[in-house]
Amino acid sequence: MITFNCTIQEGIVPEDIRPRLASELARITTGFVGGNPDEVSVNWIEIPHGFGFRGGRLSTTSAVRGEIPPGLQQETRVELMQSIQDMWMDLTGCTTDELVVSARDRRDN
Amino acid sequence: MPHYRCFIPENALSFDQRQEIALAFTDIHCGSTGAPRSFVSVTFLETPEGQTHEHGKGYFLDGGNRAGRSEEVKQLLLSDLTQAFARVANVSPDNIPGRITENPASWTMEGGFVLPEPGQEGPEWYAAAEAAAAAD
Repeated sequence: MITFNCTIQEGIVPEDIRPRLASELARITTGFVGGNPDEVSVNWIEIPHGFGFRGGRLSTTSAVRGEIPPGLQQETRVELMQSIQDMWMDLTGCTTDELVVSARDRRDN
Repeated sequence: MPHYRCFIPENALSFDQRQEIALAFTDIHCGSTGAPRSFVSVTFLETPEGQTHEHGKGYFLDGGNRAGRSEEVKQLLLSDLTQAFARVANVSPDNIPGRITENPASWTMEGGFVLPEPGQEGPEWYAAAEAAAAAD
């Protein structure tokens, strides 16, 4: 199972583009690691205004944290994160400084 | 990274308190690790009365950092964060459990760069971090 938790600040990522972001996350990630895009889970966590800070100031940063099957080569992992970053910036209009992308190995507890 | 998630009871902290804690966490983390200030994220997650969050009930500090620091540094960091939180929130430190988990830096891209391992930050990375801070 591939899972993404997308933590976004209130008012930064409009609701109407979230389904497209989710489908693109699924498409891009399964393109690198395999699997069925329909089985990728994308969760949204919207932080209310005044509850998210970065460097001690109010944040506009989105954090896209993926859990992927373990064992991906680092070079491929970087390509995956870069592709997600490019897609997210294209669809949301954010800058590189307003985005954190991670692709972590899933821990099977 | 780092990202500190503060689980708090609903309406427990004012905006000024949250901001003071976020500033304190930024000061403590950067003072302890040398990380750029603009990379320190602090999020407050409220739990309505009668409900639980992923760590149980009440306050909880959940930090996510780059792997590679000693256990001593991590424990000191968590202790300092807890003390600062307790002072601002006017809550006993004993009532603020917490943890710091770690992941390899190379699993995260921030500011357009794959994060370097602790101690491996080059001038290019610091320059990018400073540029990001200046653009805020």
